[in-house]
Amino acid sequence: MGGLQVPLEHVQVLAALLFSCGLLGLMLRRNIIFMLMSLEVMLNSAALAFVAAGAKWAEADGQVIFLLILSVAAAEISVGLGLVLQIQRRFKTLDMDSANRLRG
Amino acid sequence: MSGADTSLWPFVVYFFAVLALVATMLGLSWLLGQHRANAATNVPFESGALSVGSPQIHMAVEFYLIAIFFVIFDLETVFIFAWAVAFFELGWAGFISISIFILLLGVALVYELRSGALDWGIKTRSGAPTSTLTQEAQK
Amino acid sequence: MNIDDLQGLLPLLTLAAGATALMLQIAFARNIKLTSFLAVATLLAATLSIVWAGESAPRFVTPLLRADKLALVFSALFCVAGAVTAILSMDYLNNRGDEPEEYFLLLVLSTLGACVLAYASHLASLLLGLELMSVSLYALIAYPDKTKLPLEAAIKYLVLSGAASATMLFGFALLYATTGTLQFSAMAQQLANIDTGNITLLVASVMIVTGLGFKLSLVPFHMWTPDVYDGAPAPVAGYLASVGKAAVFVVLVRWFIASNLFRFSILIDCIALLAILSMLAGNGLALLQTNIKRMLAYSSVAHMGYLVIILVVGSDLAHRPLAIEAGMYYLIAYTATTIAAFGLLTLLSAGKSQKENIQLHDVSGLFWHQPLYACLMLVALLSLAGIPLTAGFVAKFYLISSAVSDGRWILLGSLAIGSSIGIYYYLRVVFYMTRRVEEHKNIPEAAHGLIEKFMTCTLIASILLLGIVPQSLMEYLRSILQLVN
Repeated sequence: MGGLQVPLEHVQVLAALLFSCGLLGLMLRRNIIFMLMSLEVMLNSAALAFVAAGAKWAEADGQVIFLLILSVAAAEISVGLGLVLQIQRRFKTLDMDSANRLRG
Repeated sequence: MSGADTSLWPFVVYFFAVLALVATMLGLSWLLGQHRANAATNVPFESGALSVGSPQIHMAVEFYLIAIFFVIFDLETVFIFAWAVAFFELGWAGFISISIFILLLGVALVYELRSGALDWGIKTRSGAPTSTLTQEAQK
Repeated sequence: MNIDDLQGLLPLLTLAAGATALMLQIAFARNIKLTSFLAVATLLAATLSIVWAGESAPRFVTPLLRADKLALVFSALFCVAGAVTAILSMDYLNNRGDEPEEYFLLLVLSTLGACVLAYASHLASLLLGLELMSVSLYALIAYPDKTKLPLEAAIKYLVLSGAASATMLFGFALLYATTGTLQFSAMAQQLANIDTGNITLLVASVMIVTGLGFKLSLVPFHMWTPDVYDGAPAPVAGYLASVGKAAVFVVLVRWFIASNLFRFSILIDCIALLAILSMLAGNGLALLQTNIKRMLAYSSVAHMGYLVIILVVGSDLAHRPLAIEAGMYYLIAYTATTIAAFGLLTLLSAGKSQKENIQLHDVSGLFWHQPLYACLMLVALLSLAGIPLTAGFVAKFYLISSAVSDGRWILLGSLAIGSSIGIYYYLRVVFYMTRRVEEHKNIPEAAHGLIEKFMTCTLIASILLLGIVPQSLMEYLRSILQLVN
């Protein structure tokens, strides 16, 4: 402790801003790689909010969840990148719109 | 809060100073410079030599695979590190748990080795080497 | 952690050990027969181990997991569903792609994730279970058949499901910031001291409902469902629709009970709105489909809408036991029925023709061509529609009676409208199947193995048994839910 003490609300606002950035990126970007990056930003913003909350209660729980989110995100992204490789091979593009054969 | 304010303001000044400096540099060169649009205007200047080829080089797909594996295994060390920090507090229970964890990582590594994911060059996946070879040749 | 704790976790340990063994077996001796046998054996062993694990229940195994009868019953359901999926997909995989062994490994891992969800009593175990299940499912969707449609379905599911997870996690973080605990039962005490109109809590609950609503594909978060089911291989779609939804719903119910989230009336109103939208839109859109997989996808949206009614009814303490009981029965009936319906699609697309997207006209005349499989589809559809003598009827009956006892007339009205639309489109498939088509060339070549016939009979029998003699299961559920409450 000591040094710069940041109030919880500031960190939560920062996390919310990061989350919105990720969500916007996910919705606006059409390249799959960028969508995965936006996803990562969203997951990490949630992790940041956990660390801040853990600091508020002076517990390690927040940081433990942070580690869990990191590893879960890594697993998700590596499956995603594996899919990206296959998609590049089949579709010859990483554009989500041109790879849209299924109509919702 | 007041303590936070006093330690923050140098950063704010610094931030705006950087902004001002960059804006001045860009603005001055735009004001004073010549505006021309020739065929060669947008060619990158590299000591007079023209650049050759496309910067988008195709990398072999193995690099991506290795990168993906690195991401996974790199993050797993986080848990080992967390155990190492609390080594004495966790005692034997922690030791047994982390041994199982490392054993599982080892199994995953063996699986990757055996299924040829770590091979360089032509893939020789166990089980069907010939069919995969022909597949590679077709690509 | 002592022997009793480990005994309570036996199903999870069996599945994890089985997955490791499968991985080693695939690494050293690739053999599809051996792999599928090992996978089915693992899943069945995990099911059997539940009998033994029940002796040490109920107990908390670390604050993360709670081994009680509820967890064990649903673990058994998920393991059996996994085993049935594995058996049904054997023939399907033989005719597709090379090196399909990892399919079974992923199936076991996904089942492990679902079982962890059934055990979860802490947000960390919820996160891990959910992600273990989902990440395996992403790979399962694209793995067996690396053509364009499954790949697209997989990446769509990955991106949207990941976004849903992130939203849910952000909600959890806000919840943790307000309550200071991640454990369900400890959260109840903290939440009891907090005003129900707390703004952070409100934002948190909206984000969590959004995330979980996505996973349960409630309208308006259902957009991915038809696309993913359409693109995914039939057995995987069936597994995703049944176990993938049921596991999320079990953990949701457990959390609602343990943390007593029923007292947040705004949350309950949101859920009621989602339920009404899902029932109406799901059934309405299902009506427009000619692709059977897409029809079943929309029908699953509608069924999730029926199911979340119990959370609304449960907000009244007097009717909560009946509501939860009805929900659990509905979940079991729904799982069995969905596995059966997608099982038929699996069997039909298993043949050499590799026909993936079964349209309505593809099944026309199925009764005269493949009477046994047509019976399976008939029973499954009748059960989904809620016709008497099937599991779906009893489930829906209990659901309606719990809603009537609580006087939720708007929900009941939409349920009635939804169900009547439902009967039309389910029976339309039956009508197509009974059509006497002179030339049967449309019908895809189906799997003919003895195991498939046996599985078909078992599924038909289980749906009918659940529908004709539901009392013993209902009483068992009642007895275990008293312990949970």
